[in-house]
Amino acid sequence: MERQLAMVLDLNKCLGCQTCTIACKRLWTRDEGMEYMWWNSVNTQPGRGTPRDWEDLGGGFREGIPEPGRIPTRREFGEAWEYNHREVFYGENASGSGGGAGQHLQIQGEKPDWGPNWDEDQGGGDYPNSYYFYLPRICNHCTHPACLEACPRKAIEKNADNGIVTVNEDRCRGYRFCMEACPYKKIYFNQAKKISQKCIFCFPRIEQGVAPACARQCPGRVRFVGYRDDRDAPIYKLVDKWQVAIPLHPEYGTEPNVFYVPPIAPPRYDENGEIDELNPRIPEAYLVSLFGPKVIDALVVLGEEMAKARKGEKSELMDLLIAYKWKEMFGGFDEDPAAIEWVKS
Amino acid sequence: MKASYVSAAALGTLLDPDAPIWSSHSPERVSMLGTPAGMQPSAAIQVAWKGRKIGAIERAEIKALHNGEELAFRLEWADASEDAELPDNDSFPDAAAILLPAAKGAPLMTMGAPELPVNAWYWRADERESARHLVATGLGTSHTFDRTGVRGQGHWKSGRWRVVMARALRMESDQPLAQLPPGAETGFGIAIWEGSSAERGGLKSFSGNWLPLQLEPTTSGRNG
Ligand code: SF4
Ligand code: SF4
Repeated sequence: MERQLAMVLDLNKCLGCQTCTIACKRLWTRDEGMEYMWWNSVNTQPGRGTPRDWEDLGGGFREGIPEPGRIPTRREFGEAWEYNHREVFYGENASGSGGGAGQHLQIQGEKPDWGPNWDEDQGGGDYPNSYYFYLPRICNHCTHPACLEACPRKAIEKNADNGIVTVNEDRCRGYRFCMEACPYKKIYFNQAKKISQKCIFCFPRIEQGVAPACARQCPGRVRFVGYRDDRDAPIYKLVDKWQVAIPLHPEYGTEPNVFYVPPIAPPRYDENGEIDELNPRIPEAYLVSLFGPKVIDALVVLGEEMAKARKGEKSELMDLLIAYKWKEMFGGFDEDPAAIEWVKS
Repeated sequence: MKASYVSAAALGTLLDPDAPIWSSHSPERVSMLGTPAGMQPSAAIQVAWKGRKIGAIERAEIKALHNGEELAFRLEWADASEDAELPDNDSFPDAAAILLPAAKGAPLMTMGAPELPVNAWYWRADERESARHLVATGLGTSHTFDRTGVRGQGHWKSGRWRVVMARALRMESDQPLAQLPPGAETGFGIAIWEGSSAERGGLKSFSGNWLPLQLEPTTSGRNG
């Protein structure tokens, strides 16, 4: 049977700690040619994101027709720059005693003008109504993957058993039509291997019953994992039953399988400095621009259930989102990663 | 085009695009066409390239020589930009290929067909001193099966690429390969990709349908 793995991220709980980013980096993108790759990124919203202004780079579909897109440059992703760690921590090139005490941590080489988390915590709005939230992103392992459909070599594959979208590195010839086509700009060109690479939803872990590293390592209990159609597990309940988890930019037409519980904002202050309960600090129009009109319904449901819980009533939804039982977030993929026997190829 | 027999030319000589032996033979001038946008193998490419110029290189010159053991093509074309490095995600290399039918009746326009394979000798500017040996049985099916069987060498000088690709006339393989004994009459095609125009894959200029290729018989008759 064809099945689809999915992820739900509760944006109300994301701390912006980047543990997910680093977990992914350590596991998958440490080889030569992968320095600038962050298959998982976390950006502050509102913000320009990674790669810079990625929402303006095109790709995806409009009314089923492919929308031309542009390949993001390495500068737009942000190059991986180096620091003078050896001088600072080990006193290399330092004269006299004290080693690196007199050294300052400095970027080596050309001064960067962008990076994968460049506009962290800038956000939007004006004091006292400034606001921001974190938006973690991975490849959405789309149901209608623009990357796969653009590739003339059928080098991108969608696994029928779990819906994970991967690049077949033997077939890929580095043409990068996928990078143009992916509207989420979640494919990277490896200059050393001359092929495209992307998030693999940690399929080697999945095969051993272990959740993806970004989900398992998340200290905020932000990420739920599991099959889309598993009615007893949180993904189905959040996406289909409660309909509080929605995809990012559904208008791109790729039908993502990563869903977000939208951020509930505190109320605004009005001109007199009084709390204005009717207007949230994150403008609804801004959330609609990210998640489409369904975000409003989702916020209503979240608000109602929160109110119920506050009154001491039982709310299945709130219990789910609090994630009392951490391992139940993983839809059965709750084996301990330490138990995996890794085979390095 | 005739591939003249030059008995004394060693492979190393033929592989030098500037070897004097090349200048003593006159080239065939070939007009190149862009592949139509509508023929591109995915809707995304068709939409993106509709109304955009495909096939930046419109003319090429080609010569062929064989020494009884190896066949070499020398391709030359004008190109104002040398695209040999991949400094960024949106840079593509200049490249060229020689296409040969590996079965009678193999179609060129579709890069072969099931049961009707074609071979490509593929050289690209970022892999200057080598070439790839490919088999294809239709658009998007080509696969590199060998990175040593075809030798390649190219250089860019004052606005012109000169590229030589060479291979043994006969090759044993479990892959469907064009066999090219002296005296053989077959066809060939040329493809050129202009890196600065983001040409890659099916976005290229090509020489139209098969051009005739005759391998001059060896006078000794050694190779029949
Ligand atoms: S997010 Fe982009 S790379 Fe991932 S499946 Fe969708 S289109 Fe492909
Ligand atoms: S998703 Fe989890 S690990 Fe990633 S930044 Fe948010 S809280 Fe940290």
